[in-house]
Amino acid sequence: MTLVMRLSRPLRSRTLGMLIVRRLLLVPLVLFAVVTIVFFAMRLIPGSPATTLGVAGTEGLSSKQIQENIDALTKTLGLDRPLLEQFGTYLLAVSRLDLGYSFFGSNSVVSLLKNTLPATIELVFTAMIIAVILGVVTGVVAAMRRGKALDSIILAFATVSFSLPWFALGVLGIIVFSVQLGWLPVLGRLPTSLGYQPTTNFVLLDAILQNRPDLVLPWIEHLILPALTLAISMAGFITRMVRASVLEVLGDDFIRTARMKGLDEWHIMSGHVLRNSSLPVVTVLGLQFGSLLGGSVITETVFSYPGVGNLLVSAVNQHDYLLVQGAVFAVALLFILTNVVVDILYYVLDPRLRKA
Amino acid sequence: MRVTQPSDSVPLSLRSLAARRFGAVSWVGFAAWIIVIAFLLLAVFGPLFIATDPLRQTPGALLPIGSPGHPLGTDNLGRDELSRLVHGARPLIGIALLSTLFAALIGTTIGLIAGYSGGWIDQLLMRTTDLVLAFPSLLLIILLVSVTGAGPFPLVTGITVAMAPSFARLVRALCAREMARDYVTSATLAGTRAPRIMLVEILPNLTGPLLVQVMTTISVAAGFSAGMSYIGLGIQPPQPDWGYMVQAAQQFIYSQPSLIILPATCTLLFVVACNFVGDDLRDRFDLRRDL
Repeated sequence: MTLVMRLSRPLRSRTLGMLIVRRLLLVPLVLFAVVTIVFFAMRLIPGSPATTLGVAGTEGLSSKQIQENIDALTKTLGLDRPLLEQFGTYLLAVSRLDLGYSFFGSNSVVSLLKNTLPATIELVFTAMIIAVILGVVTGVVAAMRRGKALDSIILAFATVSFSLPWFALGVLGIIVFSVQLGWLPVLGRLPTSLGYQPTTNFVLLDAILQNRPDLVLPWIEHLILPALTLAISMAGFITRMVRASVLEVLGDDFIRTARMKGLDEWHIMSGHVLRNSSLPVVTVLGLQFGSLLGGSVITETVFSYPGVGNLLVSAVNQHDYLLVQGAVFAVALLFILTNVVVDILYYVLDPRLRKA
Repeated sequence: MRVTQPSDSVPLSLRSLAARRFGAVSWVGFAAWIIVIAFLLLAVFGPLFIATDPLRQTPGALLPIGSPGHPLGTDNLGRDELSRLVHGARPLIGIALLSTLFAALIGTTIGLIAGYSGGWIDQLLMRTTDLVLAFPSLLLIILLVSVTGAGPFPLVTGITVAMAPSFARLVRALCAREMARDYVTSATLAGTRAPRIMLVEILPNLTGPLLVQVMTTISVAAGFSAGMSYIGLGIQPPQPDWGYMVQAAQQFIYSQPSLIILPATCTLLFVVACNFVGDDLRDRFDLRRDL
């Protein structure tokens, strides 16, 4: 017994580190899967990018010229090679972080992503923070007012929130807060008049690095409405999760013990109840992050926000095939890494999971 | 738990069921049903009653609401906004309904087979489903459209592929639960063939949760469809579509916000109403389980 305990103690403390390492080792594997799926999806779906690209904007050309156009593109894109050879070439290039060039303006895909990815990360994570705050507050309030009118209203909002179309929410938000009330700017990330020269392209970080405190307020003003638009769908899930887990925990023995010890309600709520609700919240963050990323594509378009989503949409509209592939790759990378963080958070928050 | 009385014949219990259901109707649920039905009627019959062509350009561009001949004004090309709004209901609702139908058919089939078979078939089907589900749905749709080109057909395909896994998961879980029930065992012992057990014995017992899922999916699919049209990858102009109408009107956000507010609110209203109908159905089916 004692021997087992002594042996298991250092083992357990090592397990968390081991688990994290093991989880991180999975990343390249998952990335490989994503690259494979994107690659084959783009080739197995009927219709070749060369055809779409070759036909675009060719009104007035003869069908022979169009065919030549398509053939030339097929060759440039390497689509005439055997599928496996194409895949090999693509994998090699990706591993060197060479995602090719945009057909328009001949910028490299990687440099375009470098310019846009930070903006998207700022947007998505601000949305997550807003969603957590909104969701936890409404969830706790609903649980404490269980069965009352306020509870029903919050639950009704939580029910509809996840399917609200982002574009409609976004434009209506612009009309109310920017056009009618004039509180917030209509679009963009920062006004050009500020003369912002990106170093890392994370505005908050750059504001510190470049000693430009004047950047912060306009940045927040531009970010708040798109982030809120995105956050609402996620907040609804969190509200429901928090409400349920608070109600569940409130009936537990340790809460009764805490009450008997004379702890006031605020301490019980913050120290005991909410700590137990953190797990379902993290679960929602992980599960809903993909949907949040999808929503960011539309939200960025609504607000002309210069992120990856905006880049992706214009790339698809211009049939800029390599840029599409690269943008999807970047978004998938963000998705995977966030899920890794969520999984690690999970292990940290719930020791029981480490055994599994 | 109520003991079934001899007088409780089928029509009578149905009537009491209906009475109970109507008694339990919340005004939100009721309003949601009315709105959804109104939108469906609008999509099907609306265009028949609007004489104005949604594509006809008149000299008066950007006329305000209440202009003679154009009750909701005109857009920047002088096209009648009311007519465009009514005609725009069809593609949005049509695509939402069609993709939900296909997603439900495919997903239910996969779920039934996985839940009924168990073992490696179950594993294979469900892991594939998880794979699709793990990929952000909107990105999946955009990826598909980027290769095939925009249009209603790729849109329906994309939304179907993105939505089918949720159905598969739901049906598989429900079906696995039903497999433990006596009626399935007795049907199996009676020598009923597998497809018949799945479709005639098990499927009818999944109606409630499936209907709820259908309404939720319609609501999400409508949002996706309009959203894709908004970013220019869905329904292509000149076909009027609410999503595209919002996008085209955004440059007139100061001069004529009604061109944005009307289609955006219509989309929002339809999506929210569908969702509340799903919620209402959920309540009703829970009620039936208690009876």
